[in-house]
Amino acid sequence: MKKIVSFLLIACSLFLTASAQDDLLGGLIQEDASKVKQNFTTATFKSTRIINMQSIEMTGKGNLQFMISHHFPNFWNEGKGWQNLAQMFGFNSGVATTYLSFDYSFLDWMNVGFAMTGNSRYETWGKFRLMRQQTGKRNIPVTIDYFALASVDASDGPSPDDLTWNRFSYVHQLLIGRKFSDKISLQLIPSLIHYNHVPYGIKNTNNIFNIGLGGRYKLSHKTALTFEYSRQLNGYKNLLDEGASAVNYVADLVSIGYDWDTGGHIFQFYLTSTTSSLNATQLSANQNNFAKGNFSLGFTINRSYGIKKVVQSH
Amino acid sequence: MKKITLLLFVICCAAGFINAQTYKTRDGNIFFNPNKDQSKKDYASNSKEATAVLKAETSEVALLVPMKTFHFNNALLEEHFNDNYLHSDKFPNATYKGKLNGFNKDMLTKDGVYNISSDGQITLHGVTKNFSAPVKLEVKGKTAVFNCVFKIKAEEYNIDIPGLVKPKLADETPLVANISFPLN
Repeated sequence: MKKIVSFLLIACSLFLTASAQDDLLGGLIQEDASKVKQNFTTATFKSTRIINMQSIEMTGKGNLQFMISHHFPNFWNEGKGWQNLAQMFGFNSGVATTYLSFDYSFLDWMNVGFAMTGNSRYETWGKFRLMRQQTGKRNIPVTIDYFALASVDASDGPSPDDLTWNRFSYVHQLLIGRKFSDKISLQLIPSLIHYNHVPYGIKNTNNIFNIGLGGRYKLSHKTALTFEYSRQLNGYKNLLDEGASAVNYVADLVSIGYDWDTGGHIFQFYLTSTTSSLNATQLSANQNNFAKGNFSLGFTINRSYGIKKVVQSH
Repeated sequence: MKKITLLLFVICCAAGFINAQTYKTRDGNIFFNPNKDQSKKDYASNSKEATAVLKAETSEVALLVPMKTFHFNNALLEEHFNDNYLHSDKFPNATYKGKLNGFNKDMLTKDGVYNISSDGQITLHGVTKNFSAPVKLEVKGKTAVFNCVFKIKAEEYNIDIPGLVKPKLADETPLVANISFPLN
């Protein structure tokens, strides 16, 4: 009997202490800490592009992003001497490839975009997040996006009678990125570029494969260094162009850049071994040889707007 | 003997029950708008996931809000808020611990609007500061809503705002806490 009494007393006192919770805040902190949280990795890259290539980042849900980018001519032209300085390393040459785009994310994992890329060309794309780097209940080491882009040449080409269909080209990419630490992120980019039409030539091919690596190193909260290297795997040697003359492209694309986040805009300045702003051209028909110092300056400015309101005062 | 045991048990349970008169909520709303021009809402944010407890007997209150539950219209701002300004990985929560002045538990049993106040300590971005502000308590049926409008200075909590953004922000950020406790 005594045992029962003492047992009941102990049980009651336990019940009392459990419900009393002298330290209210301590209880809340404990409760919060005991929750299993899913930590999604954010801000792997500053911008939706590393330099020329797409990054795994996506414009936020319900946000519209406006992007403007310029690629200038070569930084240094051999044999032109002081004229290079007069042109401020391509900056003041009067020629630049412009790229203007709008993109919008309907969902957390889906982004669509439209771009005017200069020379009567237009592009439209979809970017889909297949998996997201996270820790917690589920552990996933990388973020993977699928990026698909269609490009159309609406210019007064050499043969205006061409079928419209022949004017299309496509880029398919898998973006596989990982944020290794607060500062270091890397991304692998296998690409397939498809041309609906290529000129006749034994080495000419509709499908071109490319593999790329990009990364960033954060210098501060607002600034970061970025780099990109990609290598074309086929279809760059002994090709024939529309006029049946021989062409060779450069398989390597090298870029280094600097990201600057001002709080409202993201500025990206870079030096890249291409003067084209088109991903398809950069990855499959690059004419600038970095080994000969054929680099060019470029910049990108991003601004995003919250279209869908999520904040309510009450 | 059996009767005594039973009595003890009942007393203990009753004591436990009385002591357990704490009210709890998991969907408290915290809103802030740091814009200098308060009619603009572009930097405004809110969290609907604040947890709070109220111990009616002693008028003690506590509140916790995870920083990552604050959302913004512009996703980029949310990233800056967490990564650059509030360092949410290092300081995941903002907390408040304090007392309600002029409050007694009978207020919760009668419908009405009561003007009371609260003082205690806010911890934000790893910095703890004393806090005191008027609170409006509105009891209606089975809910008690605590509404508190107050202001904080970012620099007092070691939150660095970049020079480019500063001119657009108010010196003191107004916050609204709207905490609704279900009563039963």
